[in-house]
Amino acid sequence: MSEPLSKIPNGLRYYSGAEAGLRRRIEETAMSVFDGWSYEEIITPTLDYYSLFERGMGPSEAHHAFRFTDTDGRLLALRPDVTSGIARVTATLFANRTRPLRLCYAAPVFRQHGQSAIEWRRESTQIGCELVGQNSTESDLEVLAIASEVLQRLQFNREYVITLNDVEIFNGVAENLRFDADARDQLRQLIDGRNVADLEGFLGPYASREECRAFSKLIRLSGRLETLERARRVITNARSTAALDRLESLWRILESLGISDHFEIDLGDVSRLDYYTGLTFKIYIEGAGARVGSGGRYDNLTANFGKSEPAVGFVFDLDALAGLLQSRNDGATLLAQSIRRAQCVINSDPTALFSEAIERRACGERVVVGSAEVTP
Amino acid sequence: MTQLTIAIAKGRLQHGTLELLANSGLCETKEALSSRRLTLEDESGRFRFIFVKPMDVPVYVAHGVADCGVVGHDVLMESQADLLQPLSLGIGRCRIVVAALAERPENGYGMLRVATKYPRIAAAYFGGRGQPVEVIELSGSVELAPVVGLADCIVDLVETGRTLQDNGLSIVEVIAESTARLVVNRASYQLKATAVGALVAALEAKQPEGDL
Repeated sequence: MSEPLSKIPNGLRYYSGAEAGLRRRIEETAMSVFDGWSYEEIITPTLDYYSLFERGMGPSEAHHAFRFTDTDGRLLALRPDVTSGIARVTATLFANRTRPLRLCYAAPVFRQHGQSAIEWRRESTQIGCELVGQNSTESDLEVLAIASEVLQRLQFNREYVITLNDVEIFNGVAENLRFDADARDQLRQLIDGRNVADLEGFLGPYASREECRAFSKLIRLSGRLETLERARRVITNARSTAALDRLESLWRILESLGISDHFEIDLGDVSRLDYYTGLTFKIYIEGAGARVGSGGRYDNLTANFGKSEPAVGFVFDLDALAGLLQSRNDGATLLAQSIRRAQCVINSDPTALFSEAIERRACGERVVVGSAEVTP
Repeated sequence: MTQLTIAIAKGRLQHGTLELLANSGLCETKEALSSRRLTLEDESGRFRFIFVKPMDVPVYVAHGVADCGVVGHDVLMESQADLLQPLSLGIGRCRIVVAALAERPENGYGMLRVATKYPRIAAAYFGGRGQPVEVIELSGSVELAPVVGLADCIVDLVETGRTLQDNGLSIVEVIAESTARLVVNRASYQLKATAVGALVAALEAKQPEGDL
């Protein structure tokens, strides 16, 4: 039996009408914010060598890419992320450009499987920016300010939270306990899942019962400055302390700017330690069951392409943002701004018809070239 | 006031979960014990409960339709859903085991046929030892499979061991201990932090010391 023509592969779909319009509006809104902070758009190849993504994302993440062979037999992949391509271009083609580089993009990425159990999409659109070549609290603040502005321009006013952490806090703890790679990853998983029950068992041989308790409390509660205070009482190694200091100074600036209401410190966020090297953040919005964006500092990434330099950036998941806006009235408002009534132009003489249509278009009107509508 | 939606696993854990919630002073649950409704709100309006099949608890919570859930560790291991599990509750204690007929023929290093409701746990466990297995997924009465020759062994949940015994099976290995866990959606954990924190604290206060 032949397959029906209507069938499309799993995890892929069409977007049309109001939904497509809304997606474009979101993209335009974000890109105009990036432009407002002097970020330059970059379009990376949709297809690239698989090895690029292995270097950029690490083998376990790159593994999710659709792969096929080039005419010379080399392995190609449909890009599963945009950052890898950007890291390569900054280290190679743009190696001699003045720093810092400010780059942004809105582009679809592809994966063989949805990114999580609840993500069915295999094509999704990432909107993001990268600030390369500057290692300072200022650049961390810059991308946080940009992310906040995008959310506010999209009329997410009160209902979003950006959680902050610094992976060096974890790295200091694991180093202090002299953990090998396996133990480190086990610890990471337990913390990431806030799995206090198993965490206390796991840490049992390394620390006193009180220390274990205090540590598990710490990773379970997110909060504000007091979280850092509590952390300092439990975690005293130099590497972690330096990270706590950095996080605190970042927090104090956010507070002085009067925008700390939208931020939380979450020491349990340790999702991708092989990738991030300092600040990490995740963006949650009421109504979405999963994060809608994430980012952080990844100072080791460009080193994989031969030029080591600091970098910080983030991505928004366009599909998640669109889904949220669609389910709310603001979505309609956002869209209404871009839709105007069309003038119907009707004339049985094709020359007169198009002469009027072209004239109206010249005045900027929205037209629909008329003839009776036909329903199939 | 923030309302939390809590997904409760029907069946084995249901009674214990509702009792625990009531003992923690979180809500009145008499109605829930007798009702056949699939969703109900407690009087204070702080909680809404939905009653779903155990395997579906991680699904509801991962999608954020429920903020929290109470479900066995066995189900979490099987579902591999990306959830937070901030608390182990002292209820629903059981073991996930490999069991086989007491006088089974020695299989050596050949292919092992494993009947189970937990195909992922079974595959991961035997895969970790390099033992090739054919996993036969069943939806219930797994103990029957070795008896009638469908499988060489089973991977299943054991509470008292009574069903195994009655069917002439015995435990070969224990894969994991399981208790009920409180699971929380990642977004709810941040966006409804106060309400989730209060729930965790109230439940934790009821946990026997040293039994976390």
